[in-house]
Amino acid sequence: MDAFKLMKELRLNYEQEVHYLPKKTGLSLIASSVQDDGRISAKCRDARVEDLWSLTSFFGYSTQTFVLAVNLLDRFLAMMRIQPKHLSCVSLSCLHMAAKVTEEECNLTPSDELIRIGQCRFTASDLERMEKIVAQKLNFKSFAVTALTFLHLYHRIALSHSADRKETLSLEQLEAQLKACLCRITFSLAKPSVLALALLRQGIEAVRSEDMLEIAYHIQKHLKIADSELLLWSERVARCLSDYASPECSKPDHRRLQWIVSRRTAQNLHSYRNVPELPTIPEGGWGESESEDSCEDGMSSGEESLSSSLGSDAEGPYFPLHLHRQKQHLRVP
Amino acid sequence: PGRHTSSSEVFGIKMSAISASEKVDGFTRKSMRKAQKQRKSQGSSQYRTQSAPAELSPLPQLKDATSTEQQELFTQKLQQCCVIFDFLDSVTDLKSKEIKRATLNELVDYVSTNRGVLVESAYPEITDMISTNIFRTLPPSENPDFDPEEDEPTLEASWPHVQLVYEFLLRFLENPDFQPSIAKRYIDQKFVLQLLELFDSEDPRERDFLKTILHRIYGKFLGLRAFIRKQINNIFLRFIYETEHFNGVAELLEILGSIINGFALPLKAEHKQFLMKVLIPLHTAKALSLFHAQLAYCVVQFLEKDPTLTEPVIRGLLKFWPKTCSQKEVMFLGEIEEILDVIEPTQFKKIQEPLFKQISKCVGNPHFQVAERALYFWNNEYILSLIEENIDKILPIMFGSLYRISKEHWNPTIVALVYNVLKTLMEMNCTLFDELTSSYKAERQREKKKEQERDELWKKLEELKLDDSTLFQKNSYRVLSVQNNSNSNNNVSGTQDGHPPAAAADRDNSRPDGASQDHACAK
Repeated sequence: MDAFKLMKELRLNYEQEVHYLPKKTGLSLIASSVQDDGRISAKCRDARVEDLWSLTSFFGYSTQTFVLAVNLLDRFLAMMRIQPKHLSCVSLSCLHMAAKVTEEECNLTPSDELIRIGQCRFTASDLERMEKIVAQKLNFKSFAVTALTFLHLYHRIALSHSADRKETLSLEQLEAQLKACLCRITFSLAKPSVLALALLRQGIEAVRSEDMLEIAYHIQKHLKIADSELLLWSERVARCLSDYASPECSKPDHRRLQWIVSRRTAQNLHSYRNVPELPTIPEGGWGESESEDSCEDGMSSGEESLSSSLGSDAEGPYFPLHLHRQKQHLRVP
Repeated sequence: PGRHTSSSEVFGIKMSAISASEKVDGFTRKSMRKAQKQRKSQGSSQYRTQSAPAELSPLPQLKDATSTEQQELFTQKLQQCCVIFDFLDSVTDLKSKEIKRATLNELVDYVSTNRGVLVESAYPEITDMISTNIFRTLPPSENPDFDPEEDEPTLEASWPHVQLVYEFLLRFLENPDFQPSIAKRYIDQKFVLQLLELFDSEDPRERDFLKTILHRIYGKFLGLRAFIRKQINNIFLRFIYETEHFNGVAELLEILGSIINGFALPLKAEHKQFLMKVLIPLHTAKALSLFHAQLAYCVVQFLEKDPTLTEPVIRGLLKFWPKTCSQKEVMFLGEIEEILDVIEPTQFKKIQEPLFKQISKCVGNPHFQVAERALYFWNNEYILSLIEENIDKILPIMFGSLYRISKEHWNPTIVALVYNVLKTLMEMNCTLFDELTSSYKAERQREKKKEQERDELWKKLEELKLDDSTLFQKNSYRVLSVQNNSNSNNNVSGTQDGHPPAAAADRDNSRPDGASQDHACAK
């Protein structure tokens, strides 16, 4: 597609994106709420989205599936007040719905497997019902304009203008970074076109391409995105990505995972702890007279050499060489 | 009317009728056959040497004797108990057997409760009685295919007496008046050697006593310690490299556990040698399951004493890693977890790469118990912290295997565990994880492409089928003549010798020439 057509498509999506934005008030409410049993908090939404990413990755779903799922989730949460205990059902329904429209039939994981791997407690029919509710509330028609849509378009535009730079700006990496941002609810408050542009810019800055920076600027002007808005989100994106890329690991929240093993394996775990212990016998130090009773015939042990009392292999590695020379004390190691 | 002769009657074996339900594929179940085998009487040469069966006359009770009489009576009773009875014969000497049993009981009590009974003169009498009763050549196993895991052991027939003798020996050793300096004249190397040989008894109760007794002897007789350790070495080495048979490995290892626990630091070279030359190779034994718990305990004790031994130990285990026995592999994995539980982080760094390469293989093992056990490592908090510290080295090793089995493993429990592991690793370092994911996917794409290209090549080759027979024969003539140009016996002519060389593209056997010729190509 030539540059002109791309720009036109860009414009179209830009005009459409407002229809797929989560309600600001609802989302802000969640973003600011403290963890509490009655309401969904930012923390639990973020944790859920991370789970969605794990599942996406595990089942080999595309980034598109993930981004769409998060979009549906955020829109639904912004609109409906739900109890935290239903959050897993809602998030999994969004994922399943997104997968159904994005992935090929053969790659689609069936819902009961999805529930089993996700370690959830509801049934497949619960999932189906929830999917219907979400679809109805959002008036979902198998399509949404998301930050990924823009990211793809921007990337194509950038490449079409600088043909020999295909390798440097990696779409995959940008997608991974987008995914990292989406795991934090604040980024769902940004307009997708702006978020995607902020990501594009930092990617371009990382490869230090003046040409592409110009293209990015061009896009910004074309869509009439305000400098201040872009700057705000660029800063936030930069902060998020520096956390993402830092070598420091986050300690995984271990308690949330269930480790189910078969009965036989469970029975044999840590069987060594059951070894009944005989009381410890302390070893004598070097000075101790372990020497005296080594003789077989009850002869006086005082002057016995090592070899006669302990068999012919006394000169083996068991008996350090320096001991052979000592005659005053017999030391038996 | 013809009488139906069953196969058991034909072979002259008296067998009770076996119903069809007790057969598998028409063959009698192994357990049924074993139950029906009549047990041969366990003959023993011990009893044939006694000329006439001795009859015991009951002696007065020790508790009724005065203190001056007691010593003499004690000695008499000990001597009386030196008479051995044949328990395989369940009808003879019943009265005398009972007298001996009661006497032994009395002796056990006497030595346990009274002080001042262990006078110097008593020692040789005591050890004589014990030696006479317990030191015997163990009979060969009744069952030549004795499988310690499945079969019932042959129990010692004389246990009613022998048990009390062991009990007596133990109380003797534990008596507060016991003096090793006197006893060492009688409990010497010869005594200990015979004791060690008894550890091969099939009777677990006997071995249990022997274990406690040897433990006490080791504790009290400093002069015998080196000897005992050496003999145990010999037993183990013989077991590993020569006989693969010894029933008392577990018990000896238990004793060793308490000895290792008491090692002084720094560890002596002898002990380290023992670990590497005996304990590690002991892992290769076929019957490992019988003593693995005790063996692992010993190994871990060593590492707690001297952490620098970690690297050679783990490398040793990796060297002997089971390749065909899954049951053993599960045991090895358990032992590795025990070791990791106590490992120092600096030691961990030294072995993490070879270790996780092996774990990576285990995780992908089609035997679900092996995979399960390996994956369960990620449920261990300390191991997780070690992995976290070294995630940049470990994740690349584990990743491919984990990703592959998440798609391919047949067992759903395994798939769920893999999810847990991947999720845990992802949370530790998402950037690295994402990088590995994308390079893995790229690798898969490349492989798929190669596969496609290969398929296409085969398709093309198939399309090269030649239909014209003369064209084919001319070609083969040309090939053969090139091969045989120096051969004066060259009787190859284009139309007659039609056996096609294997290199020809067409393998179509329906052609008349190729099918009928059978003689080898002239070469």
